[in-house]
Amino acid sequence: MKILKFFVTLSIFVSLSASALLEVNIIKSREAAFPIVIAPFEIVGNSNNVDIAKIIRDNLNRSGQFNALSTQALITNQIDFSFWQEHKKDAVVFGKIEQVSSKVYNVYIYIYDVFSEKSLYQKKIQVHNSGFRRIAHFLSDKIYYVLLGQKGSFDTRLSYVTVSENSNGGKTYKLQISDSDGFNPQTVVRSSNPILSPAWSKDQKKLAYVSFKNNRSEVFVMTPFIKTIPIKLPKFDGIASSPTWHPDGNSIALTISKKGNKDIYLYDLNSEELKRLTKNISIDTEASFSPDGNKIAFTSNRTGQVQVYIKDLKSEKISRATFEGRYNAKPVFSPDGKDLALIHRVGKDYRLALLDIASRDLTVMTQNKSDESPYFSPNGGMIIFSTNRENKGILSIISLQNNQIVELMQKEGEVREPSWSNYSN
Amino acid sequence: MSKKILLLSSVIFLSSCASNNISELGDKFLDLINPSNNATEVAMLSGEETLVAMGETGGFTIDELEELSNDELIAIVREKGLEDLILLDEDGNLLNRDQLINAIVESAALLESKSEELESMSDDELIEVAVTKGLSDQIELDDDGNLANRDELIDALVESAAAIEAAISEFSNNANSFTLYFAYDDTEIDEVATRIIIQHANFMQENPSVNLRLEGHADERGTREYNLALGENRALSVKEVLGLYNLDDRIIVVSYGEEVPILTGSNEEAWEKNRRVEFSYY
Repeated sequence: MKILKFFVTLSIFVSLSASALLEVNIIKSREAAFPIVIAPFEIVGNSNNVDIAKIIRDNLNRSGQFNALSTQALITNQIDFSFWQEHKKDAVVFGKIEQVSSKVYNVYIYIYDVFSEKSLYQKKIQVHNSGFRRIAHFLSDKIYYVLLGQKGSFDTRLSYVTVSENSNGGKTYKLQISDSDGFNPQTVVRSSNPILSPAWSKDQKKLAYVSFKNNRSEVFVMTPFIKTIPIKLPKFDGIASSPTWHPDGNSIALTISKKGNKDIYLYDLNSEELKRLTKNISIDTEASFSPDGNKIAFTSNRTGQVQVYIKDLKSEKISRATFEGRYNAKPVFSPDGKDLALIHRVGKDYRLALLDIASRDLTVMTQNKSDESPYFSPNGGMIIFSTNRENKGILSIISLQNNQIVELMQKEGEVREPSWSNYSN
Repeated sequence: MSKKILLLSSVIFLSSCASNNISELGDKFLDLINPSNNATEVAMLSGEETLVAMGETGGFTIDELEELSNDELIAIVREKGLEDLILLDEDGNLLNRDQLINAIVESAALLESKSEELESMSDDELIEVAVTKGLSDQIELDDDGNLANRDELIDALVESAAAIEAAISEFSNNANSFTLYFAYDDTEIDEVATRIIIQHANFMQENPSVNLRLEGHADERGTREYNLALGENRALSVKEVLGLYNLDDRIIVVSYGEEVPILTGSNEEAWEKNRRVEFSYY
């Protein structure tokens, strides 16, 4: 078989960079990214116009772990390894989409190591017409795992809130869920009153969120994939807000204002019992569970300043976690439990920061004015948060590998309050 | 610089898929689009959840409503008896599509007038309202303890609501401020604010059937949930002063945090206006 000449289309990465990167003066260590090639998939029969290779490339590049390029020509089963060695590519991925019937397709994928010239992985998968994006995310996770030995965060979902102005001056708030790349958005709650703080349960079946639909802050739980009426947690005295799921999925920590005193409570969804987790006359809110469920991090102004604290739920001991700056809030644990992402005030600006809990090292991650609501990707490799661009709320995803940033925004209106689901397993 | 856009195209959303094995995953994809799979999903619901055939929106998902034509939406709105909401231009084109969709989603909560609201209440609810409005002497019960004068009671409540409205309107015309402002991350009531609160306290004492809703707000700086707590603390500090006049029982406190700004914009002028407590009588 004739071996085709290949040209690495560098422009793909450049144009993708232009569409996906935000200019921030954090050094991007692109050299550290894994250089690979993902060729366009060969199509046998009718295509359904979903470019699987492009979705995979975009995913891998967004992670900051890869520099994934395309090729001008297809790669079938003969690979010119010496060509790729010359061009310093570490791995070659190619595949084929073969139509079986009107709705069913076979998807083939092959991953080769350029230097050992060996197959690392190959697979045939049958998919439905409507499952192409999902399978592209699944294959992205597969490639990530095969090449890095770590889990990816691609076959996962985001939840977030969009806000748009109506023609009559009112606002429409929507709680939406989407794929991890922002595609396939679906509205699961819609209201003319504010919605905030959506949080996925660990099994991805439920979302807890705050709604003002009854003109007060209340916490609801809904099932985004099954049509049910959202369940309101019992009416508590004063505000109920800031829900976060215990990792076991059976209880939700939330902020309740009893007689005006805002503390964090644990509400057991089965026994309907309420257990008080913090007891302080000041504001305690924005709880996040450690992955093992043994600790909560939270925001408190107990010293007169807004700072982050960690409570060990077994020993009941509360210790201050942030010491740098006068305002640190909205902490969220990393999946390995070692770091907290939080919002840190720098001068007049509120910026995403990463705190190493043990060493107390605080790293400011952005140069933005008003970052909010950080949340880790399930593999811990990225943080999603909301920020402002030209007075408009957008979502931003930062790779912790090389600080590369990807922005997600609405054509019209704002998007805010992101949360990242766990893996679907 | 072009940026990634969240595409608004709606594609069937696959529900969570439990599989580590890639070939199983392929099968799972076929299963997922098969409607019979819904039964399994439903069975996984815990006993606490009420499965309903129809969502809050009626027989439509929100995305389905958004895909409907204006004419179809108008037909649904008419069906729900909400035709008064429909706004058409001279050529008969719909002007308030978003509002209609919101209205369908929230139709249960939509009642235009006070009398409509009262008409929709059960006898027990009416009695409760009458008691809180100090109209217990207007309630007539029959021998079985049922409400005997429903229509008269509604009339009395509407009348009393009108009287309250007139009193509030007069009070506001006398140049009384209905908004108090605060410093950054602060709940302190200053002298000016105290004077305003005292005027409100006097008004409430003169009008015993008037109830007060204190709405606390924050500026956009800092995190949303902290601001929600801060807004409540601002409203509570106002309530505390009113409490000195024994008005506690007639006051409810709510907080909108940074969600409902008076002015948008990231500058001190906007922030000053947004750090506030609003008085709202009912």
